[in-house]
Amino acid sequence: MVSLIRTVRNMQRVGLREWWRQMQYIGDAKSGRLVGQDQFGNKYFENLNPEEEIPGRHRWVDYSQHFYHASQVPPEWHSWLQHIRQNPPAEDPVMQASSPSWKAPWVENLTGTRGAYRPYNTTTPKVQAWDPKTAPRS
Amino acid sequence: MSVALKNYAYRSLHTSKPAQQAPSTTSEPITTLAQQGSNQLSLQVPQNKAEYVLSTLDKVTNWARQGSMWPMTFGLACCAVEMMHMAAARYDQDRLGILFRASPRQSDIMIVAGTLTNKMAPALRKVYDQMPEPRWVVSMGSCANGGGYYHYAYSVVRGCDRIVPVDIYVPGCPPTAEALLYGMLQLQRKMRRNRKSVIW
Repeated sequence: MVSLIRTVRNMQRVGLREWWRQMQYIGDAKSGRLVGQDQFGNKYFENLNPEEEIPGRHRWVDYSQHFYHASQVPPEWHSWLQHIRQNPPAEDPVMQASSPSWKAPWVENLTGTRGAYRPYNTTTPKVQAWDPKTAPRS
Repeated sequence: MSVALKNYAYRSLHTSKPAQQAPSTTSEPITTLAQQGSNQLSLQVPQNKAEYVLSTLDKVTNWARQGSMWPMTFGLACCAVEMMHMAAARYDQDRLGILFRASPRQSDIMIVAGTLTNKMAPALRKVYDQMPEPRWVVSMGSCANGGGYYHYAYSVVRGCDRIVPVDIYVPGCPPTAEALLYGMLQLQRKMRRNRKSVIW
């Protein structure tokens, strides 16, 4: 499946410039139908032709950020990407109905940035630290 | 305590909303917002020519390091099976340059996978001491993170961070191979933040 013919065909379809970008970010030449775009600008693709993409590699995401990682995919699109839902969020009636008003906006994993989660303690400490007090030597 | 907490940029405490600082109108990713005022930014926006040269050196170093992470496998329990899954065909760590190296002298990451017992702790520390600098430790699974199920057992170390300094904690019991791989990617992210020569 990952053959020279497929690579050349996908290269012809997406164009040289896009192919080069894909090789840097996805690591493979992919071409397919643009299904949608989320609020962060990540693009989601699908290619259902089993002759062109192995079933199981037929849905993929093209991240918008340079330093991408998997938590940049919001949960709605994650469920599409991982085949939990068949339809993309915009066309999925269940997804539309189950989007409550109190749902918080999706935030990616901020580990390693200043926005990282910092645990804290609100209880009074059980252990009192020993404060050494020495009598001055004469 | 409260004074110390004020200095940190932390999330607001008593609310169910996870992060208030995410305005939906801006097109900037939240990571750039979260990095504002960070002293780590010398890698992205060098202030002067010396800093430009040094941060470029740092970037080359970071690129080389994150491209060939060789973990020392410290498989101790069932987590080790998930660690093997990360090496196997589906998650395929080789594509990221992660190769298991069964020798501490030639590895730069140690994945502590599983329950660390009191009996094993000196061996773990010895293996860690044998690894060359720079070295990182990934603590995998509840048992390695904080004792987990065996937290109150008489023979188990309550977290491998009592023995070695840990960089990445991967939660789960056991964590999936996906989760461990994500942890390795987060470790790459941490390596990318290295700016040793700029600091020097």
